[in-house]
Amino acid sequence: MPGESKNGMQCAEFDALLNDALDHTLSASKMESFQAHARVCPVCSLLKAEAEEGQRWMKSLAEVEPPANLVHNILAATTGRESAQVKLATPKPSWIDSLTAWLRPTFTVARQPRFVMSFGMVFFSLSAVLSLSGVKASDVSHVDLRPAAVRRSYYETSGKVIKYYENIRFVYEIESRVRDFKRATTPAEPAPEEQNKERKNDTSGQPEQRQERNYSQGENQPVLASLPDDPPVVTMTTYRRFV
Amino acid sequence: MEDAQVVALLVRRCIAGDAVAWEEIVQKYHRRIYNICYRFAGSGDDAQDLTQEVFIKMYRTLNTYDVERGAFMTWVTTVTRNLLVDHFRKTKQDRVTDSLDAAPSEHQDAMPLSEQIHDKSQPPDARVQSRETSETVHKALQKLSPELREAVILRDLQDLDYREIAAVLRVPEGTVKSRINRGRAELARLLTRTYRQVM
Repeated sequence: MPGESKNGMQCAEFDALLNDALDHTLSASKMESFQAHARVCPVCSLLKAEAEEGQRWMKSLAEVEPPANLVHNILAATTGRESAQVKLATPKPSWIDSLTAWLRPTFTVARQPRFVMSFGMVFFSLSAVLSLSGVKASDVSHVDLRPAAVRRSYYETSGKVIKYYENIRFVYEIESRVRDFKRATTPAEPAPEEQNKERKNDTSGQPEQRQERNYSQGENQPVLASLPDDPPVVTMTTYRRFV
Repeated sequence: MEDAQVVALLVRRCIAGDAVAWEEIVQKYHRRIYNICYRFAGSGDDAQDLTQEVFIKMYRTLNTYDVERGAFMTWVTTVTRNLLVDHFRKTKQDRVTDSLDAAPSEHQDAMPLSEQIHDKSQPPDARVQSRETSETVHKALQKLSPELREAVILRDLQDLDYREIAAVLRVPEGTVKSRINRGRAELARLLTRTYRQVM
C-alpha cells in the first residue's frame, strides 16, 4: 500500500521506480531493494507483474502501414500540389478501381446492421401492403410497357377518372349551382341586330360562327321547308341519371 | 548535419514557401502521426482524417514553432495530441451508439505492415493467430481511459522519453510514469479477462 514501508522501500517509491525497473535503467543497489520489496509486498508484486505483461502486449503491436494515398491527400489539402514521388510511384488506377473506390463508402454504409435492418423493414412493409391490396408479382411481370400501350392505358385511366369525377352527385350539384350563379350575375345578351352591327365592325379577323353563316344565306336560297306562324309548343323534360 | 538541424532547416524552408521542403516533412512524419492517430482513435478511416487534419494545422501554424523550445517531433506530437483530444470530445456521443455497429474486421489499410507482406516462413495459422492477437490488443487499448491510453501509446509505441511525454501532455514526469504503469496494468487486466472468457 502507498506509504507502507517493506524491506527499506515504501510502496510509493516502488511505484515511482517501476518504469525504470521495466526499462532496465535502475542501478544495481536500487534494483536489489526494488526486487526485495516486490517479494514481500503482494500488491506491488501484482502491479509489477501486470505492468510487465501490459508492456509486453503493447510491444507486440506492430506499426501499421498508412494508406497509399495519404501523402497525396495531405499535399492536396495543404499546398494543392501533387506529390512528385507519389505521382511516379502510383500507376493510374483503372476505371474499375475508380468506380470501386467511389462506391466503397456507399457499400460501407449499406453493410451496417442498422441499414440492413431498416431496408428489411421497408421491404417487409411494402410486400405486406402489396399483398393486402391484391397486387401479385405475376401481374406486374405481364404489364405491357410499349410506349403505345402505356399511352393508351394513360388515356383510359384519365378518362375513367374524369368520368367518375363528373358523375359524382356533389360535383354535379356544385357545377349546376355555379352555372346558375353565372347566368344570374351576367347581364342579358344584346339584341341580334346589335350583335350584327358589332360583327360588321369586327376587324379582329376571327371567323364568324358557322351557325350564323348558314342562317345568313336565307334570302337567296330556296325555302325547303317552313313552319306555320303559330308553331305547336313541344315541352321536353330531361332527366339526368346519377351514377 | 544533425537531425534537429536538418528539421530546423526544413521548417525554415517551408515557412519561406518551399513546397518541396513541406513534402519532405510530410513524407518524414506521416507514418508516425498516422500510427498515433490509429492507435488512439481505433479506426483506419478516422486515423486518415485526423492525420490530414494534423498536417493542415501544422501547415497553418508552422511559423509558431520555436526551435529553442523543443524538438520538432515533440511539437508535432503535441499538435497531434491536441487534435486527438478535440476529436475524442467531439465523438464522445457517437461512441456510445457506434459500439453496436462496429464492423467485425478492421480497415484493410490499417493492417500492420508485417501482416500485409506475406511471411513465407510463418505458417498461415500462426499468421491468423498473430493478427487476431493484434486485433484483441488494439481493441483492449481502446477501452483504456484517454489519459492512460495516450501515455501508453507515446511511451510503448512511439518510444518517446518521459520528459518528452510530459511536455506533450503538459503534466509532471511523475504523473506520466504513474499513468503509464496504470495503463499497462489495466491493459493486462483487460486482456486477461478477455482470454479467460474465450477459454
